[in-house]
Amino acid sequence: MKANLVSTFTKHAAFVVIIVALWEWGARTGVIDQSFVGSPLGIASFTYNNLLNGRLWGDLGWTMLSVKLSFILGSAAAIGVGLVFVTWPKFEAFCDPYVNALNVLPRIAMVPLFILWFGLGVGSKIAMGFSLTFFIVLSSTVAGIRGISQDHVTLTRTLGATSRQLFFWVTLPGAVPVLFSGLRLGLIYAFLGVVGAEVIASERGLGQQLAYLASTFAIDGVWSLLLDLALVGVFLMKVMNWLERRLLHWQ
Amino acid sequence: MIDIKRLHLSFDGVNDVLSDIDFHLASGEFVAIAGPSGCGKTTLLNLCAGLVEVPDGQHLAVASKPPVLGGHDVAYMLARDSLFPWLSAIDNAAFGLKVRGTPEPEARARAQTMLKRVGLAGYEDALPKALSHGMRQRVALARTFAMPSPLLLMDEPFGALDAQTKLQLQDLLLQLCQESERSVLFVTHDLAEAVALADRVIIMSSRPGRIIADVPVPLPRPRSIRQLQTNDAFHQTYAAVWRHLEEGWTHHEG
Repeated sequence: MKANLVSTFTKHAAFVVIIVALWEWGARTGVIDQSFVGSPLGIASFTYNNLLNGRLWGDLGWTMLSVKLSFILGSAAAIGVGLVFVTWPKFEAFCDPYVNALNVLPRIAMVPLFILWFGLGVGSKIAMGFSLTFFIVLSSTVAGIRGISQDHVTLTRTLGATSRQLFFWVTLPGAVPVLFSGLRLGLIYAFLGVVGAEVIASERGLGQQLAYLASTFAIDGVWSLLLDLALVGVFLMKVMNWLERRLLHWQ
Repeated sequence: MIDIKRLHLSFDGVNDVLSDIDFHLASGEFVAIAGPSGCGKTTLLNLCAGLVEVPDGQHLAVASKPPVLGGHDVAYMLARDSLFPWLSAIDNAAFGLKVRGTPEPEARARAQTMLKRVGLAGYEDALPKALSHGMRQRVALARTFAMPSPLLLMDEPFGALDAQTKLQLQDLLLQLCQESERSVLFVTHDLAEAVALADRVIIMSSRPGRIIADVPVPLPRPRSIRQLQTNDAFHQTYAAVWRHLEEGWTHHEG
């Protein structure tokens, strides 16, 4: 098993080294146009400077603040509305066409409006992340609650459980698996929405830095930022995996 | 414990689900209900549990009162495995008591005693995913018997088990009932199970469900499932129950 892991790691390391070496060789010899695709050493140098001069950390903090707030607010609102929908299905049926229309609307097209309403700061980024997270978590909340075992509900009702007991002891834990897959996706989309909005127009943030570097043809910087964004995405998934292992250990 | 007089039930106002049900379950009695699928056995159980409302003007009393959903007189055990997968065996066994307001330490102590009684000492912290089907139904039995409810409603609790596990759990149920003096209304498809466990076997016809026979089981208690296999009275009663069930089919088809 361990030998297999080492072998897999070696294969991947060799693959990456070969690609990077070919890229660097192509950039130096002029086979590849550096001004459009950059070079690995240039990317490494930009990343090093970006780490040292503090710009990366400032923008990362700015982006993560927006991601965090849009995810928390979007999920909380979605869970609240989901509960209302499950409790009053007639209200859900009434809202259904509006929810569907808003959900299919390409949210990125709303960024200009969000900027007008909330400015170039975190407000418009939170609004964008919120608008994506909300609908994903809403549908998983409704599906999670509707999908709980009816046997569990029947049994709990025959025991004379109060609505509060039924909700906290049966409905909520029973809905967590489906709800959690919605939260996982909601977090990815909050990140996507925030960075997307930052690329379009922002005071700060990783997306804003990326857009600025691209507009000034600093391709090494663009690659460096893309790498940072990928690492942030991986980190967010690791956090969700850790949470899932804790919350759903019983599965 | 249960008293039903000339009960009719229809969900749509046109077709009867249950028709002309007259039934009495005495305190401490074990009655099995057998009949074809869809004959209304579970509906009858649900009426007694308060899950289905008794129609106006109809008489159905549990412990001399109209049935109330969640009434403490009744403990319900479902056909399928109904353990909560996120709770350990002991928390599942204590669940009913906790819902009904028993303080946590007391509920857990009682649950622990019951788990030991059903042969699951040492499995208190096991999650349902780590238990076999038979063990999970043992936990469900512990949960049901942990509550002091005098009336147990059991809806094919061993229906999904393999033959050997089923026999073991039937034996366990016989012992638990003998120890704790409960009244039991037990729905089953398995006629041998009905005869082995019950004092009387009620046979129901196809829909609309009506009682077509009430067969007393002349077997002394305490009983042992293994000994019943060689008992003539067991086989004669089993044959009689079969005959009544077949007559029900013939009437229905005719």
